[in-house]
Amino acid sequence: MRTLTPFSILAPTTLQDSFQHIEEHGWNAALYAGGTELLLTMRSGLASFPYLIDIKKIPQFDEISFNKDEGMLTIGAGATHRSIETSPLVLEQLPLLAEVESMVANIRVRTVGTIGGNLCFADPHSDPATLFMAWAGTTFELVSSAGVRQIAPDEFFVDLFTTARAENELMSKIHLPILGKRMGGAYKKFVTLERPTANVAAFLGLANGKIDSARIAVGSVGPIPVRAIDAEGTLLGGFPDEKLFERAAETAAEATDPVDDVYGSKEYKKQIVRVLTRRALKQAATRADRSQ
Amino acid sequence: MLDKAYGVGERAPQVDGPAKITGQAKFAGDIKLAGMLEAKVLRSPFAHARIRSIDVSRAEALPGVACILTGNDLGDIDPYYGHAVRDRPIVAIDRAKFAGDPVAIVAAESASIADQALELIVVDYEELPHATTIEEAMVANAPQIHDTEQLRLGLFHGLGDFQPHNNICYEHHLEDGDVEKLFSKADEIVEGEYRFPSVYQYSMEPHLTVAHWIANDQLELWSNCQHPYLVRAEVADIFSLSKANVRIHVPYLGGGFGSKSYTRLEPMAAAVARKAARPVRIANSVTESMWTSRRHNMICKMQTAADKDGMLLARKVELWLDTGAYADNGPRVVATAADAAAGPYAWQAQKVDAFGVYTNRPPSGSYRAFGATHLQWIGESQINEIGRRVGLDALEMRKKNLLKFGDTIRKGGKPLDADLIGDIQKVADGLDWGEKRGENIGRGFGIGLLAAGSRPVSTSFLRLEADGTITVLVSTTELGQGARTAMSQLVSEVLKVPLSQIRVPDGDTQITPYDRSTGASRSTTLAGGAVHLAALDLREQLIDIAVKMWKLSDEAIEIREGQVWGGDKSATFAECLEWHFGFVGGELFGRGIVRPEEGQGTYSAGPVFWEVCTGGVEIELDRDTGEIKLRKVVSVADVGTAVNPSLIKGQEMGGAAQGLGNAIFEEMHFEDGQLMNGNLADYRVPKLFDMAEEFVSVIVQNEDGPGPYGLKGVGEGILAAMPAAIVNALGELGIEINELPATPERVWKAMNDSRQDDNTLQKKIGGE
Amino acid sequence: MQLQTTINGKPIQAEVPAETLLIDLLRDDLDLTGTKRSCDMQICGSCTVLLDGQPVSSCSLLAYETQDRQVLTIEGVSLNGSLHPVQTAFLQEYGLQCGFCTPGMVLTTLSLLAENPNPDEETIRAHIGSNLCRCTGYYPIVNAVKKSVQLTNNTPGD
Ligand SMILES: Cc1cc2nc3c(=O)[nH]c(=O)nc-3n(C[C@H](O)[C@H](O)[C@H](O)COP(=O)(O)OP(=O)(O)OC[C@H]3O[C@@H](n4cnc5c(N)ncnc54)[C@H](O)[C@@H]3O)c2cc1C
Ligand code: FES
Ligand code: FES
Repeated sequence: MRTLTPFSILAPTTLQDSFQHIEEHGWNAALYAGGTELLLTMRSGLASFPYLIDIKKIPQFDEISFNKDEGMLTIGAGATHRSIETSPLVLEQLPLLAEVESMVANIRVRTVGTIGGNLCFADPHSDPATLFMAWAGTTFELVSSAGVRQIAPDEFFVDLFTTARAENELMSKIHLPILGKRMGGAYKKFVTLERPTANVAAFLGLANGKIDSARIAVGSVGPIPVRAIDAEGTLLGGFPDEKLFERAAETAAEATDPVDDVYGSKEYKKQIVRVLTRRALKQAATRADRSQ
Repeated sequence: MLDKAYGVGERAPQVDGPAKITGQAKFAGDIKLAGMLEAKVLRSPFAHARIRSIDVSRAEALPGVACILTGNDLGDIDPYYGHAVRDRPIVAIDRAKFAGDPVAIVAAESASIADQALELIVVDYEELPHATTIEEAMVANAPQIHDTEQLRLGLFHGLGDFQPHNNICYEHHLEDGDVEKLFSKADEIVEGEYRFPSVYQYSMEPHLTVAHWIANDQLELWSNCQHPYLVRAEVADIFSLSKANVRIHVPYLGGGFGSKSYTRLEPMAAAVARKAARPVRIANSVTESMWTSRRHNMICKMQTAADKDGMLLARKVELWLDTGAYADNGPRVVATAADAAAGPYAWQAQKVDAFGVYTNRPPSGSYRAFGATHLQWIGESQINEIGRRVGLDALEMRKKNLLKFGDTIRKGGKPLDADLIGDIQKVADGLDWGEKRGENIGRGFGIGLLAAGSRPVSTSFLRLEADGTITVLVSTTELGQGARTAMSQLVSEVLKVPLSQIRVPDGDTQITPYDRSTGASRSTTLAGGAVHLAALDLREQLIDIAVKMWKLSDEAIEIREGQVWGGDKSATFAECLEWHFGFVGGELFGRGIVRPEEGQGTYSAGPVFWEVCTGGVEIELDRDTGEIKLRKVVSVADVGTAVNPSLIKGQEMGGAAQGLGNAIFEEMHFEDGQLMNGNLADYRVPKLFDMAEEFVSVIVQNEDGPGPYGLKGVGEGILAAMPAAIVNALGELGIEINELPATPERVWKAMNDSRQDDNTLQKKIGGE
Repeated sequence: MQLQTTINGKPIQAEVPAETLLIDLLRDDLDLTGTKRSCDMQICGSCTVLLDGQPVSSCSLLAYETQDRQVLTIEGVSLNGSLHPVQTAFLQEYGLQCGFCTPGMVLTTLSLLAENPNPDEETIRAHIGSNLCRCTGYYPIVNAVKKSVQLTNNTPGD
């Protein structure tokens, strides 16, 4: 780590002001939320910026709210992992999200790091990114002086550290539909180093004892989390049993194309994806079965 | 808590606990001198490169830069050091020998200026062919890391005469009996090739040194070093100073585990401070510390022969330890590994050929239980394999073959000074050995010996001050192991004073007397021995005073409750001193000197004692992922006498955690000599979640050690035992491991390999 | 920038560059050297301090973030010169060896107890498991946190 090169911090207190700063400084400025990734990048000598735009002072930027009529939970992009993990609203409406958030990094990073920062940084080893990829109906809200747009996770994540967010856009919110009846979700991760080696999120819906909806996402083994569409297909209309899950897991693993790196070999990561998918499906089915 | 006397065997609280728990304890990084500069080191990006030229002009011109040191500044001193082989220049001269080798040092008013200056230094490198693995270094016409003919030996290798040659920095051979003959008549032979990874000691506090010159003939250093007296001698030698004019202060260390053994940043800090004519601090980052010291990676070929009854006959071992670009403590590690290779069994013959190999990697040095950790898992897994073949369980194999008290281990060396069968039985009991195991539950243990104690030279003074306070002057370094507490207890035992009346200040080579080093589990035994003698000496003097004061015979005098007693008369130490000096002032000194009892305490006559390395584990294997969960650890600490059982248990638990790391997670990855995971995000250190649910610690006290009260050191053995225990537990589950760490991936692969073996075996059987 | 903050209950005003890290402010400018730097990347927790009661890695947090907020470092933990029950608990359980991770461990424990005065073993492990120790093997640290729960609940007026 090297010492930080000098910069100034701008701290807009309205969205409008922040757009102005972004437009004025362009590439010379970085949006700064918790800074857990940004400062690390700067201290590693990978980037330097004369201006940091502290977006934490924007009102309601970290608000967590629930719209009962729409069945939507909305998380401000500036909400920290820790505040999401411990939010009574989240614990009540979307306990799976609280569970996943409690698995992120360590308590200090969770205290400071924001959900928006996690998603916008697009580190391939992200827990929430994989979760949201599998979560049907999730949208991210991006705002700029030009207006507001909603974007789905599979369009948002483009590549390693690359998203569809335009330079002048800010992520303001994450909208998550609560799970319907007979729906269950589960998240499994496998950790050998500091960040996840592989992770899988799965959602299953049951009707008359059969699977009528299935979403699986696999993360950390490639540049971005991906849906396991073929595996989802094998599940639809089937009975939720171990054999079917094993087949789906096999399909999910085969669909991945992991890289060999310090986290493990390609072959091994495929195995882990297989195991995690099977375990996630099993738990999702149990939870679906229990949710009336 | 401290206002009580605690004798030997009692669970005294840590005397330095209050300082540490409040953040008041001073570590090297907490020392600030007026006018102190911050230094940063420019390091070679190449594993092997000629330095054609270095242009520091732009960096020097940066405001706030005090000076820049390069290899060109070392002309007026002897810039090569290395306690075993003087192969290391303060900064690279002409050639950089590993990626991370210091090439230049900037001293500036602040760390950020120094950082900027580093970017302005232009080095013209010519990349040279490199040898970054043991294999690459050992082939004919391999690139030569050093011009070995020119190498001089260092001041403290303690290994007799030797000369590095080719890329071999040291070799050690042991041969006893006719190995070939025994192998030819053996019923069972187990053989294999094994690999041990490069591991980082990972003390939480990275290396740091502050250097300050007074005039140009006196040097003062604050350094987190384990062996201040050895550093002093080397530094004095480099700069042609009188040793007495090099003063090293050793504050609290944030762990060491061997990484801070011998000379580290001190020559660099001293050289820059000399050029800058200002105090200078060099503080390593974690990455830099990983480039500063690590554990040797190793390749080993081992063969074990036994008869059909499981009686061990002979063992043959060849091993190559990668010492990196500089010998560092490599020669000693090679010798200790050779000692540990055969294991404590009644061999009829053994042959060990051990080599330390220079490569273009960062230097390797000491790390807790070196040698033993490298070898024990290999030897022990072979013994278990023989057992499986002849139908004897692991415990029976040990009972049948382990050496007994007094048996010869190495010709001319110290005979076995422990009851190994008793120890291993305790491990087995702790594991409920023989009880039925659940599915995917494996149990394993290992036992071995570690040549401990290093050279038996330690000294101490006890200063009894006029108010009765006892200051223990001893140069043992407090690294967290509890040295200051143990020393205080040894004093408290003899003089019966409360711990609050005893002080153990920081090591300071101008004040605290000579101690060879803090390592090799030697402190309580040897430095403790000196402190014990000093306390006895002081006791004698107090009794003498009382004899005169009360005109009693010395048998009538007793020391208890922190006072001197003669019948019903009593006096505090302060009163004794006042009577003695006729004045409220004056002090007494106790003196303690430990030196070799016979001979010169050389390596071949040693060790001071054999540390028993034993312990066991119960693991649960996840067959889907290869992940191992520790369920139980049993450690048996064979300590002779426990000065403080709580401290010993602390050593065992911490050592076991490191052993777990070495066994299943930790590995420095290199590609073409580049360290690929030089940080805590990618280098995995055990966390709380990795610990076993249950930890059973057994302390064996047979009073068979060479220290006072028959004590001997601890703290290393369990580390060596852990990989052996884990590999053997996996062996019980049918999984053969020949490369550490046994990461989930390696276990999973080994599992699939053995499954394939089963399949082919079944096919064979089916086809017949 | 002009920084106004409260450190260990003491108001601090300082003119510092915006890029100043909290750990450097504490250690270099304020001589509060009990906070230790190790991994320097938000993993080990040696540098933990509490910001408005929440644990943060001071090695990677800008001092700027403490503006108008409360910082607690190890130097502020002792109560009027006597040990805080959490500190006593660590001593009683030998929950430290070299002491380098210790300030961070104590502060992390304090943040846990402030949130949950009666945590169960699982909660304790999840919380303190965020910090690394290379010396102790963690067992005595977990025991120290359990003991802290006992001692803090038994301290009158606390
Ligand atoms: C040691 C460590 C371990 C970690 N382990 C895990 C783990 O196990 N699992 C996991 O999922 N994550 C992990 N992380 C990542 C962690 O979740 C993120 O660091 C954190 O959430 C980032 O949030 P931040 O607010 O600090 O982002 P910042 O560092 O402030 O910003 C990150 C990037 O996003 C941009 N940005 C931030 N907010 C916005 C916004 N609202 N709109 C547009 N752009 C924005 C910034 O410009 C910057 O480029 C780990 C991080 C660390 C340091
Ligand atoms: S030094 Fe800050 S978390 Fe390790
Ligand atoms: S006590 Fe040394 S790191 Fe924890």
